[in-house]
Amino acid sequence: MARAVSTRRKIFFTALAWIVALLLFFPILWTILTSFKTEQEAIASPPMIIPSWTLDNYFEVQARSDYFRHFLNSVWISVGSTLIALLFAIPAAWAMAFTPTPKTKDVLMWMLSTKMMPAVGVLVPMYLIFRDTGLLDTVWGLTMILTLINLPIVIWMLYTYFREIPVDILEAARMDGAILWKELVYVLVPMAVPGIASTLLLNIILAWNEAFWTINLTASKAAPLTAFISSFSSPQGLFWAKLSAASTLAIAPILVLGWLSQKQLVRGLTFGAVK
Amino acid sequence: MTQIAEPGERAAPGFAGTAAGRKPRTRRKFNIQSILGTTPMIATAIGVFVICIIFSIIWSFTSSKLFPNFNFVGLSQYERLWRTDRWIISVQNVFVYGVLSMIVGMVFGYLLAVFMDQRIRQEDLFRSIFLYPFAMSLVVTGLVWQWMFDPNLGIQSAVRQLGWTSFEFAPLVKQETALYGLVLGGLWNGVGVTMAIMLAGLRGVDAEIWKAAKVDGIPTWKTYLFIVLPMMKGAIATAFILSATGVVRVFDIVIAMTQGGPGVSTQMPAIYVIQHITDRANVGQGMAAATMMLVPVMVIISLQYLFQWNAKRKAART
Repeated sequence: MARAVSTRRKIFFTALAWIVALLLFFPILWTILTSFKTEQEAIASPPMIIPSWTLDNYFEVQARSDYFRHFLNSVWISVGSTLIALLFAIPAAWAMAFTPTPKTKDVLMWMLSTKMMPAVGVLVPMYLIFRDTGLLDTVWGLTMILTLINLPIVIWMLYTYFREIPVDILEAARMDGAILWKELVYVLVPMAVPGIASTLLLNIILAWNEAFWTINLTASKAAPLTAFISSFSSPQGLFWAKLSAASTLAIAPILVLGWLSQKQLVRGLTFGAVK
Repeated sequence: MTQIAEPGERAAPGFAGTAAGRKPRTRRKFNIQSILGTTPMIATAIGVFVICIIFSIIWSFTSSKLFPNFNFVGLSQYERLWRTDRWIISVQNVFVYGVLSMIVGMVFGYLLAVFMDQRIRQEDLFRSIFLYPFAMSLVVTGLVWQWMFDPNLGIQSAVRQLGWTSFEFAPLVKQETALYGLVLGGLWNGVGVTMAIMLAGLRGVDAEIWKAAKVDGIPTWKTYLFIVLPMMKGAIATAFILSATGVVRVFDIVIAMTQGGPGVSTQMPAIYVIQHITDRANVGQGMAAATMMLVPVMVIISLQYLFQWNAKRKAART
């Protein structure tokens, strides 16, 4: 990989990278800036770059629509569904990575292929099940559905991590007389912590962003942030600052989580293709 | 204990005859652990996906209105579906959206990856920034871009302020261009992932190839285009599948950005289905449309199985 690149070219490309990065990041940055403007400033032309750093929008969004409840719904749904998914996925990924059978690859591919299905294909049956069991517009119902939807990705991610763990160690533990659950809890899990952590992170992000099911299966009580924001989708230029405040709060956890764990984020978002 | 037990355990998998996989992993036809481990997952997947899809398909042959019933009407829902302009426009739209966003996304993703491959400083930082849009929900993406494209607030007004008063760039307000605005928003969201996967593919190419190309005096851009690109099939396939699944499921961004309008210019199949099972109270029609959406995915999956099966049969013969 030792390809020589001259210093001047390197500087040129670095400068270009900054420009591209700024362009790509600009919409996000602008949303954050706008959230600190007054409504007049938000629609001012020429556009104001430096806001007056007012926090009114945040207070108003909270006062008008009980923003905090939607935020908590999002937290509850994304964290809850991720933990339940891990509970199902760890044994499955463990089995597939350490004791593969000739059918393992097929099962894995089939799991992933469910991810490609258009969700509207299962919406009506799901909706009816939810209605009949009283799960419609409840946080529990959404947690369950998001667990199901993201399960294939979680298993796939864990599988790619588990495959990197040398099998000898597990066998050594087994030789030493470790029984099944001890092998899992004391040997596998500690070694797989980095992998489990990045899977956790990715799945929280995916669940946090999920919009199809949250829009279609909630009314208002259990609506998480994605559904809440999409209900504003025709703002007519009047509420841009407030909408920006709501959006900023919705993306803030992702920005922070993403920044704290850049490496895992890259691997997670590319579904294990980039290590 | 460990020392004594080891050799006997190791010998077994070798005789099992399955050469694939890494050496020490045991391969048995059935073992209790793998069954225990995968059962919950398989049960839920079958329960949810297979059964629900079967019900959806059954209801597509019925005259279900607001609530599903089992009053079968044969293929008439499908006949009606393909006579409905709204549906045909939806299919055309998703086709244009898919082809455009996939081709442009792959080309730009590769260009960005090549660009990142020039040994830029703080590469990890840039890679994360390029990936950030993908970590945003499509709802926020749609919202932000709806605004960037707003004639009075966004890019158009900013450029006009700079003095170019006849500048026009507000794709979402016109029927002819709204779809392309949607494509742009989607590209912003997805180009970073394509880039990251392509970059990994580039890095996976053997350094010797580069040396050989240099010795032969092949210009860098030619090496990238004609030598390296064909060598990274895996990365291209991954990026392709990822963006293709995004297209099949396109919904959130349309809801947030245009809601299918202006007119029916950004109508999409998923939105057609939702409208029919909610506002229009015609579940049978909605399910017929949903079944049509399942068809391409099922064709692709069964083709893949066919190829696999074929390859296995060939491998068994030799």
